[in-house]
Amino acid sequence: MSADDLASGSILWTLLVLHLLAVPLSAWVARFDHRAGLGVAAIAPALTAIWASVLLIDSTNPFVTELMWVEGLDVGVRFRADAIALLMTLLVSGIGTLVLVYAMGYFSTSSAQMPRMTAALLAFSTSMLGLVLADSIWTLFIFWEFTSITSFLLVGHKDVDASVRDAARRALMITGAGGLSLLAGLLILGAESGTTSLTDLAPIDGGRAWVAALLILGGVATKSAQVPFHVWLPGAMKAPTPVSAYLHSATMVKAGVLLLAITGPAFTDVTTWKVVGLALGISSMLWGGITSLRHQDAKLILAWGTISQLGLLVTLLSVGTAKATFAAISILFAHAIFKAALFAVVGEIDIRTGTRDIRELGGLSRTMPIATAVAVVSGLSMAGVPPLLGFAAKEAAVEAALKLSGTDALIVSTSIIVGSVITVAYTTRFLLGTFGAGPDTTVAPRRPAMTIATTVLGLGSIVGYIAINAVNGIVGPAAVEINAKADVYSLYRWPGITTAFLVSAAIVAVGVALGLFILRRVDQPAPGARGADLVDHGLDRFLAWAPQPIARIQHGSLPVYLATMGLVALTATIPFVREVDTDSLVLWDNAFQGALAVAIIGAAAAGAFVNSRLGAALTLGAVGLGVTGLFVVHGAPDLALTQLLVETIIVVGFVLGLGHLGRSFPSAHATWKGVRVGVSVLCGVGVMFGLAASASNPSGTPPIEQLAEAAVEEGGGNNIVNVILTDLRALDTLGEVVVLAVVALGILALANTSDTEATT
Amino acid sequence: MIGNRSPVVQLGIRTATPLAVLVGFYLFFAGHNAPGGGFAAGLVFGAVVTLRTIAGLQRPTHAIPLLSAGIFIVIAVAAAPLLWGDTVLDQAIGSIEVPVLGKLKSGSALPFDLGVTAIVVALVLALLDGLGVGAITTSEHERRRESTETSP
Repeated sequence: MSADDLASGSILWTLLVLHLLAVPLSAWVARFDHRAGLGVAAIAPALTAIWASVLLIDSTNPFVTELMWVEGLDVGVRFRADAIALLMTLLVSGIGTLVLVYAMGYFSTSSAQMPRMTAALLAFSTSMLGLVLADSIWTLFIFWEFTSITSFLLVGHKDVDASVRDAARRALMITGAGGLSLLAGLLILGAESGTTSLTDLAPIDGGRAWVAALLILGGVATKSAQVPFHVWLPGAMKAPTPVSAYLHSATMVKAGVLLLAITGPAFTDVTTWKVVGLALGISSMLWGGITSLRHQDAKLILAWGTISQLGLLVTLLSVGTAKATFAAISILFAHAIFKAALFAVVGEIDIRTGTRDIRELGGLSRTMPIATAVAVVSGLSMAGVPPLLGFAAKEAAVEAALKLSGTDALIVSTSIIVGSVITVAYTTRFLLGTFGAGPDTTVAPRRPAMTIATTVLGLGSIVGYIAINAVNGIVGPAAVEINAKADVYSLYRWPGITTAFLVSAAIVAVGVALGLFILRRVDQPAPGARGADLVDHGLDRFLAWAPQPIARIQHGSLPVYLATMGLVALTATIPFVREVDTDSLVLWDNAFQGALAVAIIGAAAAGAFVNSRLGAALTLGAVGLGVTGLFVVHGAPDLALTQLLVETIIVVGFVLGLGHLGRSFPSAHATWKGVRVGVSVLCGVGVMFGLAASASNPSGTPPIEQLAEAAVEEGGGNNIVNVILTDLRALDTLGEVVVLAVVALGILALANTSDTEATT
Repeated sequence: MIGNRSPVVQLGIRTATPLAVLVGFYLFFAGHNAPGGGFAAGLVFGAVVTLRTIAGLQRPTHAIPLLSAGIFIVIAVAAAPLLWGDTVLDQAIGSIEVPVLGKLKSGSALPFDLGVTAIVVALVLALLDGLGVGAITTSEHERRRESTETSP
């Protein structure tokens, strides 16, 4: 099979369906053996990674595939496999496969939570795949939210621990809020640029573009952990390390960066986009790096380093020059590989020594040689030292920074250089602190699955450097997808002695010195999680406060609920009042209608004032039968039949209920009774106006002719009303019966809880 | 319950049940070409169930399985056309020759209507549960019948 055969929508859908089928299957297998479960889960991502790499190497043309749901609204699922989507697919599925293999070693016992863990990991992988391949704003948003939810489940793996639950809740709340902001932003963006396709976005400007830019940046900043929304990411490190390596370094946190890249072309004329993006990126890059230098926990050092690196990516993409975009995509690729490897090594250290504190670790280079080698290679790649992939990518970034011109150039390029120095410093401290001298730590035996995965990830940085042309073939077209002018750039194994190279050399030298200096200060206290505490405190306060207003709104009085709903619904009829065309109104078509109307009004009025429950039931029945009569006179047998049946079942219901209730209504205050009657009359009048308005403003000719024809031809039935219900407008019916089903479920739930609540 | 006090009501409802069920089936199948349909049939079945509850007679009790089945059917019918590339809820029509009855024509609207009926009946059952009018179980029913037969 050639690559052209693989570049088809059916293969893409098959892979997605394979993922979806494997989610429950892997959970089921994991109940018996967690390693087998993880193995089953790894199949679909592995196939997807191979598929993506074949397409990337052959650099096939982009293709679009979609499943349309509502054509008129352009609502559907649409995927587009272009260079950047396939690059991300390779990262998501490739690293996903390795993480699942790694997890086979990481989780030693088949705990009861393993099925959930396995299923959630694969479900996350599926969501992320959908997110990176998405081509419509709807598809993107739906999968974006799926990644937030699966991330919540994965962070909260050890759910017996209260601090883990807090961390999971914090992550969900912040990324969830960002998701809502993103939805609003995407809706404005879609409306302004007139398309739901992410590839056809036209540049927009004006006030709405400004708002859309801020809202979308809200989504970017929360998902990609940019200051000040970064507080969820360090907390998420409470998740098992496979999760941290996969979600919180390599893939999910890159979703925001990806979004920034693909929506960027729409905001080229919006200054806010660039300014806010730079502010977010630069502050995250510096603050993340500085905080990383203050932590003693190896995993938190890496987590804060990730915030810093994400800040660098956001900065480069916000700069928006072709060179900076190319550099950002290169670093995104290199970072996913080396950071996943580093996390994997820290997880292995954690499992085999029982600690992640760099002060307690020592002698690991002797006892854990392979892990040390992987960490050193990946760490040097992170610091930008040759001969590694990170060096080539970092060179591109430094070059892009030095090439900037304009007022903001000084700030941006200085920040990138300072950020890089800090990166080298925390990398030095991490490597020497973890693997350098120190008290000898006892080390448990190696677990092959972990070693295999970490080694492959570690080799990635070396292979990427050797096969730099292949990397260029992947990264180059991806950057061109975002900025067409990026096609002139490529990564170099050895750029020669350029200004950028000299700057890089200086960065490494200063960074190493800084790292060594800070490493000496072993006794500095680790910074507290003030931001995270603030968020938790705020959430707790909100949850403590919420019951008060809820108790006021949900007071439990049925008449007040009905009156409120009636009044609110009434406001909807106000616009209709002026639309009524009084000339078109006739008293009646048929004298029977007049007689029935009088009877209905009389029965309704009697119902309002009658005191006994049986009397009220009878008057309501009379109203219903009167309406049925109106339908009959009008020649609508379907409506009459349905109305009659509804009346029948209501009468039966009354018979059932009256046996349990008193004969007459409890006495009510006269004013309250007046209010109720008033609201009812107003509602009736409102409906009357609405109907009169719609009858006097027919838009075009009634579609009865087309419906009659369509009913027989498409629906295969002669009863137009029912063919409309079950075929022509069946989607409405589907929605309605689902509402009925939800009501039924609600009633059942209430019926089941009322017993238990009454006793407590 | 009224049925316990009034054998006339109980007997009446017991006698009316098969007739009402027949009417329900008629409405269900007639719906495509004449007044009726899944919703109407569901209401008739719902009324039967409620009346039997009032009379203290046996009635179906399983709201949740019925509800699940109904939702499954409507969603399956809605989604099935996607499998062969049509839009959601696209109607398929077929006809078969049946001895005696002749040529019967129907479409995927029929199972869709069946799902609607199931959901409506399930809603009535849920309402009865919600009102705390529990159904009479078989054993209880037998016991009552015995007690009424022996007591006079």
